[in-house]
Amino acid sequence: MAVTTAPVRPSEPGRRPDAGRRAGLDRALPWLLLLPAAITLGLVSIYPIYAGVHASLTTYLYGRPVAGAGLKNYTDTWHDPVFWQAMEVTLKFVLIAVTVETVLGLGLALLVANVVRGARWIRMSILAPMTVAPVVVGVIWRLIYESETGFVNPLFTSLGLGAPNVLSHEGSAFFGLVLVDVWEWTPLLFLICLAGLQSIPQEPLEAAAVDGAGPVRLFFNHTLPLLLPVLAVGVVLRLIDAVGTFDQIFVLTRGGPGTATQLISIYAYNTAFNFTDYGHGAAMLIALLAFALLLVLVALSLMRRAAKRVAQ
Amino acid sequence: MTSGSGPSMKWSRRSVLKGAGLGVAAAAAAPLLAACGSSGGSGGSSSSGSSKKIIIGSFQDPAMAPFRDKYVKQYQQETGTAVQYSETSYDAWYQACKSDGLNKTGAYDIYVMDDNWVPEFAAGGIVQNLDKLGLKVNPDILSKGLDQGYWPPKEGARLKAFKNDTPALYSLVIIDDVNLLYYDTRHFSSPPETWDDIYTAMKKKAHPPQLYGWSARGVKGNPVVQTYLPLLNSYGGNFVNDDWSPGFAGPEGVAALERLLTFLPYMSPSTPEFDTDQETSLMLQGKCMALTEYTGTAVTEIDNPSDSKVVGKINMATTPKQVKNGPAIGTFICSIASGSPNPEGAVKFLEWFTSDRIQTQFAREGGNAAVTKTALNDPQAAQKYRWLPAIAQSVQLSTPKPRTPDEPKFEDILGTQLNLALVQALQQKGGYEQIAQKYLNVAKGQMQAVLEQNKNIYF
Repeated sequence: MAVTTAPVRPSEPGRRPDAGRRAGLDRALPWLLLLPAAITLGLVSIYPIYAGVHASLTTYLYGRPVAGAGLKNYTDTWHDPVFWQAMEVTLKFVLIAVTVETVLGLGLALLVANVVRGARWIRMSILAPMTVAPVVVGVIWRLIYESETGFVNPLFTSLGLGAPNVLSHEGSAFFGLVLVDVWEWTPLLFLICLAGLQSIPQEPLEAAAVDGAGPVRLFFNHTLPLLLPVLAVGVVLRLIDAVGTFDQIFVLTRGGPGTATQLISIYAYNTAFNFTDYGHGAAMLIALLAFALLLVLVALSLMRRAAKRVAQ
Repeated sequence: MTSGSGPSMKWSRRSVLKGAGLGVAAAAAAPLLAACGSSGGSGGSSSSGSSKKIIIGSFQDPAMAPFRDKYVKQYQQETGTAVQYSETSYDAWYQACKSDGLNKTGAYDIYVMDDNWVPEFAAGGIVQNLDKLGLKVNPDILSKGLDQGYWPPKEGARLKAFKNDTPALYSLVIIDDVNLLYYDTRHFSSPPETWDDIYTAMKKKAHPPQLYGWSARGVKGNPVVQTYLPLLNSYGGNFVNDDWSPGFAGPEGVAALERLLTFLPYMSPSTPEFDTDQETSLMLQGKCMALTEYTGTAVTEIDNPSDSKVVGKINMATTPKQVKNGPAIGTFICSIASGSPNPEGAVKFLEWFTSDRIQTQFAREGGNAAVTKTALNDPQAAQKYRWLPAIAQSVQLSTPKPRTPDEPKFEDILGTQLNLALVQALQQKGGYEQIAQKYLNVAKGQMQAVLEQNKNIYF
């Protein structure tokens, strides 16, 4: 019987470098393939942030950078009372708008999740406001609120209430803008919640129902904890977006009456582009970025805690 | 399909890497190539001055429509010089032309500007000195309109660095936009001369909401400041004094604001949210007795039956006086870009457009706010467009706004407090003098803080 052995590879000194190169290419290939995307991302995302930080550390005169400013623009921002006023308005706006949107979005999703007939049409009509460009939303609501030709004043008057002249008073203008934001962005949270609800496994809910859990208990003890991770994503997305709200406010009130609706985005825009104080404006926007990140961290931490509490 | 399934699809790792490398290189080089291409393009194909193409950039405004649609084409036909005209929104254009001028990109020859950009653009070297370029100014151009293009300003407060400089022309006025008084002839048989006359008339005849006595822009910032300035100027107050100190919080400024606040019971309660469209719509519907507004309302709306229910019923005059007339001026003005590829051609175009012949045509065809005295007082034009003599008179009686790059900031400060004063006066329905004093003092304090912060520029 012939004994066969595995053929011994002759020593091939010439092939070793090739194998090494190939191994090197194997390691490098993923990075090289990522390079175009990384460059694009760097150009459109990271460079503007770098440029913003750089501008915030520069002094401008007549639109030209004339000297390094160190942290002066940041200390000016810190000592600027209008900035803090704008920060307060921004915080109030974001908290009220996102809270209302979350509650409404979740409520609508719970209502629609079990609808079988016409669900498609209901979903489409709820989602419609989200598809309108924010500037157009501003124009639409300006026509609605407009005191002479809009329908809010005549509606209130026909109900025997005085004409509210929504945009002429500080309080009503602020809540008028919150309403616009809620109208436009509740659909986003509705969509996210609906997707979350439809992906929740039904077995634990059915088991709890068999054990006698009522709808309220079922929701708070089972549905909500399972939905929280998805809800957290939605809330975080909305927080980030709401902090930078600009278009609707610019069209509707330009931050007025007085400074009642002047969010940081509006104030920073005016500072940078109307007052040509680019450094100060950039410092405010960097502060806004930090503020948005802080809000996100706080929101995530609160939701994690809530999830833990509910799970216990 | 997998790679290598056919002869034409054989992809080796090397070819993929080579392709990716080329792709990255192309992507990285694209902006550079594009920039090189555009600068080469704007450099033009021919070399001699005025026969080269002229590139004009502007912001969108109905007042610019005749310039864009008729006169640019007419210049091309008359001279054979190609003119490229592009426009965008006001804010976008301000940023675009500033960036072009700062970097001397050479994408434009002529910038159409708002006159309050002149201080920043001239001081910052964004635009060229027209005197040095040899532009010959038509001596018939109304002097107050022409003065808007000088830097440093001929009159009023000056920035420290330019205190002793001789004023030079950096921008040439092309549309003399100025505040006018619009009054409904069914309620005023002759133009009211003073603000008190207007108040007396509205007390007698106004019955809101069917007929308001007055309509005004009340939105914070520039709009409400435009409402207040003709009053402030006419009461003898100044936006800023010659030493840059705020001049509106004194007795004249307070009296001027108090007068405006006394109009409020006869105005729409939504005035704090009114901008031009809402303000003028009341007049176009025949629902207000009078207002002050720039010339565009007269030229494009008042006698246009598709917009107006008061065709032929509204007359125009210089804004009322108290101690003097004081309309605010806000001209459309042209400068030549610092990096203009064709400054000679740009000079020729500006001289052509502001010539007597073209200005008279500009006034006669559409009643546009021409810039020469003869055109605005041309009998043929004035007979058809009754506002033209009022424009001529108002320009010469006008008071310019502070000539500083910080002017928008000053407007924002004053405009925010004026807006708050309107809101409080509407709620309180009285105590107007105290309200006026309170908010003007706040604005004064905030403006002084800005001046102090930038004292190396001002003092």
